[in-house]
Amino acid sequence: MSAYMATFLRWLATPVVLLAISLFLYWLLRKIGWQKKAAVGFALISPWLVGFLIFTAFPLFYSLYLSFTEYSIFGTPRFVGLQNYIFLFTEDLEFWPSVRITLLYAALTLPIGVVGALLVAMLLNNRIKGIGIFRTIYYLPAILPEVAVALLWRWIFNSESGIMNYLLSPILNFFGLGKPDWFGDPHYVIFAFVIMSVWGIFGTNTVIFLAALQGVSRSLYEAAEIDGASGFAKFIHVTIPQISPVILLQVVMGMIGALQIFTVAMFVRPTSAAGKFMNQLVYERGFTQLHMGEASAIAWVLFIIILILTLLVFRSSPAWVYYEAEVKR
Amino acid sequence: MMRKKLSLLLAVLFVFSLLLSACASGTNQGGQDQGDKSANQTAQKVEIRLSTWAGAEEAKQLQAILDDLNKKSTTYTIVQDSNPAEYDTRIITQLSGASGPDLFWVSAQRAAQFAAQGAMLDITDRLAKSDHPAAKTDDYFENSLKPFTNNGKIYGLPWLEQPVMLYVNKDLFDQANVSYPDGSWTWDTFLDAAKKLTMDVNGKHPGESGFDAKNIKQWGFTLNGWPPVQMFIWQNGGEVIAEDFSESPIDSPKAMEAFKFYADLVNSPYVPSQQLIRDRGFDAMYKNQQVAMFMGGAADSLDWDVTFKSQAFEVPAGPTGIHATFGDILGMGINAKTKNPDAAFQALLDLTDAIHHWKIMPPRKSLADVQLLQKLHPEKAHSLDAIVKSMNYATSYRYFTNYPDWDNIFWTQLMDPIVNAKGDPTKLVPKVKPQLDAVLQRAK
Repeated sequence: MSAYMATFLRWLATPVVLLAISLFLYWLLRKIGWQKKAAVGFALISPWLVGFLIFTAFPLFYSLYLSFTEYSIFGTPRFVGLQNYIFLFTEDLEFWPSVRITLLYAALTLPIGVVGALLVAMLLNNRIKGIGIFRTIYYLPAILPEVAVALLWRWIFNSESGIMNYLLSPILNFFGLGKPDWFGDPHYVIFAFVIMSVWGIFGTNTVIFLAALQGVSRSLYEAAEIDGASGFAKFIHVTIPQISPVILLQVVMGMIGALQIFTVAMFVRPTSAAGKFMNQLVYERGFTQLHMGEASAIAWVLFIIILILTLLVFRSSPAWVYYEAEVKR
Repeated sequence: MMRKKLSLLLAVLFVFSLLLSACASGTNQGGQDQGDKSANQTAQKVEIRLSTWAGAEEAKQLQAILDDLNKKSTTYTIVQDSNPAEYDTRIITQLSGASGPDLFWVSAQRAAQFAAQGAMLDITDRLAKSDHPAAKTDDYFENSLKPFTNNGKIYGLPWLEQPVMLYVNKDLFDQANVSYPDGSWTWDTFLDAAKKLTMDVNGKHPGESGFDAKNIKQWGFTLNGWPPVQMFIWQNGGEVIAEDFSESPIDSPKAMEAFKFYADLVNSPYVPSQQLIRDRGFDAMYKNQQVAMFMGGAADSLDWDVTFKSQAFEVPAGPTGIHATFGDILGMGINAKTKNPDAAFQALLDLTDAIHHWKIMPPRKSLADVQLLQKLHPEKAHSLDAIVKSMNYATSYRYFTNYPDWDNIFWTQLMDPIVNAKGDPTKLVPKVKPQLDAVLQRAK
């Protein structure tokens, strides 16, 4: 009981300490001559700042430090310089296949996810009876728990009794092909993941696109119609430029999400011959093999990949993203 | 402007020092608690937290044992914290921090890691001084203590060693007119039985004219990476890790022969395809009588919780008669950071002994008595003779600190291709051996 009481007291002490910090900060800032408004502002955000520094900034930079060490989680980290990175790039058998499958997965899911969601959003943008029901149905995947969905897909992809192979059987029989072993055959694994992910991202992406489509001014379409624009021309010259900032958002968020795939992969557990996604490798190196240094190094490589790709997308955006308030020179 | 910046810096520093002092005072508080606790240790019972991976039913049975122990003990009260979900990750995180349990269940592989990393308490001297029946190290089967031993020191005790057994569907054996296994079975007898027990929809066996390999309704055996290939290599007189941990002799003729035997078996008509095993369930196919023989741990319920006559036998010996089987070992250790090492040690001994009388198979020679075990486990009475015999030659893997690295390469680069992609061991082994050797070298 005493052990729980100590925890309880510490739990109670946390808000008290945070409040004390807040008050102290206010007093200090006023003392050194800050304006009341600024001092109140800083005092009020101080609990968040403390939380950010302890739970986000510190672990972030600590993991960077750990990537240069050998650390088993027990004991103290031993500094080894660039050894973890050199090992990953030159000797590790799983690292490059993991980069490959992660990038391939992102490259396949991203365009399908964005284009598919946009097309669905355009369908849902029609004013027909019962459109609210369709919109709800399309949003459903976004609110289902990822683990439950992963287990559901495992059933769907069951090669003998799964619904996927049942639906595909007429085509497979026509070409004289056997039933695909979706998670057992390394050639099919990536496609199974793409199908699963696309189903999942449609929900969220579609809603965002729908909101963007509804924000496009009717007057622009009317003007285009007066100029004799066809439906396709309106889509290319009015819709796309108008929603391009949202497309940029979807591309960036979709790319980051795809590169960080983890939960579904951990629960579906496909054959290891297909390679492991980078985040899976981070987890296994860290918690199965107890090489926290290597795990941190992989995580930082993933971060750099995401950073570079995101920067590339942003750099390319002036060429294809149109902001209404922007004046092109 | 400059003054303002300096003031801001000072303010941030002040805030941090305040926060740090708050944390430090929290730690001191804990230390104070501890001092009080040890002073009162003789007067009141100490709470020992036990972490296990037990599921709901197992945890219920364990609690009954704990209630009994807690009632009898004057020194400790064991509090159970059982949760099978992500057990390893949870225990690693807890042990690395300050919130770990005093006692915890641990697999052999993790025990070897934890012992080497100093996360488990060295109990060598305490064991030597104790006259508790569970403390007699010479009573344990030698292999069962190995994962808990590091540099001659003991860091935990095994509470179970379950050898891999050959479970046999006696009804299907009778129908096929095949005699049950006995101690004389070798790979050849086993293959012969598997062949006779494999049947297509027309009742034909492999090798007979008109046998339809695409429409098999009953298979002789099943394997999917389990049982481990190591077992067959040992049966053939080979090894996968040298005794001095200098290399992985997986390219020796004996090991190669065993790899080939395993690969041939995977691709033979006697074994369902991996796709089918994944779809229908590995042991489910045995339970549903689609597979006649299955290799599983001695504690499995496949010999009594089924709708047909089933019994566990010794696994077949190698071609030259060498008996070997894999023994899966589970045990318990004390957190090196425990605040109550004495009480935790007493609890470890009492609970280990209690589990030895609860589960199959206790890793102690004095308890390897068929009649005694039959009283404790009447439902497995018919299999116990073979299980006890198997204990004499059950072997576990040669664990070392970086064993998971070795195992990862062994499985992903060698066994997974052999099992799932019809990989040829003669081509794969020469490629994988240097990688396995490199892990062993790095560990040194």
